[in-house]
Amino acid sequence: MRWFLVAPAVLIVVALTIFPLGFALWVSFVQYDFALGDEHPWVGLDNFVENWKDPVWRASLWRTIWFSVTMVAVELVLGLLLALAMLRPFRGRRVFMTLFVIPLFISPVVVGGFFDLFVRRPYGVANQLTSWIWPGDVTIDFSQDSPWVYIVLVIADVWQWTPFMFVILLAGLAAIPDTLYEAADLDGAKPRQSFVFVTLPLLLPIVLIAVTFRLVDAAKLFDIIYSLTRGGPGTDTYTTSYYLYQQGFEFFHLGQGTAGAWMFMIMLLFVSFWLVRRLLKPLEETSL
Amino acid sequence: MSDEVHHDPDMSQEEYMSGLRMARRDFLVKSGLAAAAAAAAPAWLSTEQAAAAVKASTAVGQARDPIAANAVTQAKKYSGLSMGRINEVGPQALDDVNFSGPLWQRLTGIKTNLTEVPFAQIRTKIIAEDLAKSGALDSVEVSPAWIPDFADQGVVMPIDGLIRKYKAQATIADLHPLYKGLARYKGKTWGFFDDGDVWALYYRKDVFGNRRLRAAYKAKFKRDLRVPRGWDEFNQVAQFITDEMAPRVYGTGMGRALGNPGNQFYFFQQFRANGGRFFNPRTMKAEINNAIAVKTMNQILAQNKASPPGVDKLDFISSWGLWLKGQTAMIMAWPPTGRISENIAQRHKAFATLPKSKVVGKVGYARVPGANGEHAGAFIKCVMATSENQDAAYLYNQWATSPSVSLQRVMLPYTLRDPYRISHYRAPAYRKLWKGAAEYLEALCEAANDAVLDLSMSGAGDYANALDRAMTSMYAGKDVQDALDEAKREWDSITDKLGVAKQRASYATFLKYPGATNKNTVRKLGQAVKC
Repeated sequence: MRWFLVAPAVLIVVALTIFPLGFALWVSFVQYDFALGDEHPWVGLDNFVENWKDPVWRASLWRTIWFSVTMVAVELVLGLLLALAMLRPFRGRRVFMTLFVIPLFISPVVVGGFFDLFVRRPYGVANQLTSWIWPGDVTIDFSQDSPWVYIVLVIADVWQWTPFMFVILLAGLAAIPDTLYEAADLDGAKPRQSFVFVTLPLLLPIVLIAVTFRLVDAAKLFDIIYSLTRGGPGTDTYTTSYYLYQQGFEFFHLGQGTAGAWMFMIMLLFVSFWLVRRLLKPLEETSL
Repeated sequence: MSDEVHHDPDMSQEEYMSGLRMARRDFLVKSGLAAAAAAAAPAWLSTEQAAAAVKASTAVGQARDPIAANAVTQAKKYSGLSMGRINEVGPQALDDVNFSGPLWQRLTGIKTNLTEVPFAQIRTKIIAEDLAKSGALDSVEVSPAWIPDFADQGVVMPIDGLIRKYKAQATIADLHPLYKGLARYKGKTWGFFDDGDVWALYYRKDVFGNRRLRAAYKAKFKRDLRVPRGWDEFNQVAQFITDEMAPRVYGTGMGRALGNPGNQFYFFQQFRANGGRFFNPRTMKAEINNAIAVKTMNQILAQNKASPPGVDKLDFISSWGLWLKGQTAMIMAWPPTGRISENIAQRHKAFATLPKSKVVGKVGYARVPGANGEHAGAFIKCVMATSENQDAAYLYNQWATSPSVSLQRVMLPYTLRDPYRISHYRAPAYRKLWKGAAEYLEALCEAANDAVLDLSMSGAGDYANALDRAMTSMYAGKDVQDALDEAKREWDSITDKLGVAKQRASYATFLKYPGATNKNTVRKLGQAVKC
């Protein structure tokens, strides 16, 4: 009877998770390419090697790392500053907080489209706004010229995801008991010292959680690239996810694309594993 | 077709306008009548076209167009069926939504379920359907460049047997010679050709007739300003107009965004007009990084320089927007440019994609510089090999592309289907659509006589994407030779992956099509048509 009751859940997991994973594993070791026909001979590690040999794949990997680290670092700093600013009650605080979290509810594709309109020449307002603070005519193509295209992508992601950091960090800050600050105050600690020796250590686990979530998410950066640059100019803004999408769903080199996806997933697993270990370390030490 | 300027070169714009002055009362009366006529024309036109298509498709029309009438008679036995179609989102799909779909259902009782996707995704959706084999698609729009892959992989089915079964052999008789062979591959027919997507040069007669501009050009270059005949002249004239008239009017401005329409089209065209070839046909090593390719890319970059800011992100619909607002003086573009310039499409309420034209009556048509316009994109109506309704899908395709029905479809105000039959170019009804319509149709026919084709061979999509990406990196400042070297390496890698012997055979097949190079155009093969 108990097996009968769990059977639907088991079937769903097998059909939607185990089977696709197994199928994807098989696809990555066979020739599975629309242009090469319906037969799928075993090719061993060839699909994996093809990815490593492809300079576009390697560049996309480094770019993904750079984007992820830069975006999450900026979001962390801005999110923390915002959370500190919003910690104490003041008039209009609720209105500000509501405005700050709105970007979280917008689809990343829409965010990309919005920034595309913002920076696109000659209609976008980016150049005009820049010309207010920069002498003379500004004729930068923010969606093409290096390094501006990277900066715009970072700004778009930061605009959308800083509120996520803000919300998590605000919750963490609010959970620190006031008594600790009062004790520090009695010991003669200055505000900066309270922040460094009280706030930061107690906030660190929350920071790690927020950074882990955001790093894993930022590593999958796709939507904004798709709607803002399409990976261009050339392949200059290809992230690994965008590269894999192209290989799999535009060129139908499914074997190579799937092998690339496995490689990328294993890399992400290592990063996640390291971050989770850092996250659990204080808990393990406490339990000991 | 004409390369000549149509205005009196000695007449200024002010003088020209003063000749059009009229009394206020006359103006009001004439404006009212014109507005009423303009408002009524599209509805009347579409109704007339539907009536003509029905007439051609029924027993009454049997004598006029047996291909359409037979398709309808035979398809009636599938009444009640639902047929899956895929078409390009936007104006192209409006044909299915407003015209062909409802008419086909009315005539045969077969309903069409339309999937609308952007052009590049038509290919991916069809491949995905082939892999999934769900039977969701029956009749599909396929670009000629995809036919070799789709035929080799069994995505679409050969229709020679069905053509014989339904006695439709005559349907290809009056296709323009450029289009006759495009649905043929490895000795079989894979669909019915359905869109004459040949590029021509559209230019502003008023700009080229501007007396001040002409004098300034002559003073600077010691020769008359004329519609350019070569790419160097085009770039010189475009830059001159930009220098003189920007930001009000730029010399040119064509869609250079990545993948929209796809920069490979520009390269394919100019590279071959300059005498280039894609591969060494013996070794199959790519030749897209040689001196001709570098020259071609420098010409393209010079065109960008003479274009409005942001041209490297300009999609082709936006390039039409600039043209219609009168902000560009020349564009090399698809045939709808002629119709939208005269507001033929924008008068219809179904067409909301583009602004009203400010260049009505001011547009001239010419061959593209270097003479060889690209036949870029286009569509062939095919039947999916996975279709469970193959006969019904085939009969729909036969009906829609039949001489009489296709004529009505290429005249529809709100879609982007373009003339491709000799009977289309010569149709009196089309030639009367606007004052310059006859000249427009003749220009398209002549452009097809000289056109070169998209690279149509196995792996065409991959080759095109690699080139498109390389070109946008050059727009962003990458060294031309370096970017072309990289694109060549990518092409060679694609060739190696697909198999050199297979690609050699596929390229050899492509080279046999009229228009594969600038040395075997329809005209050079002695098959040119006078329309």
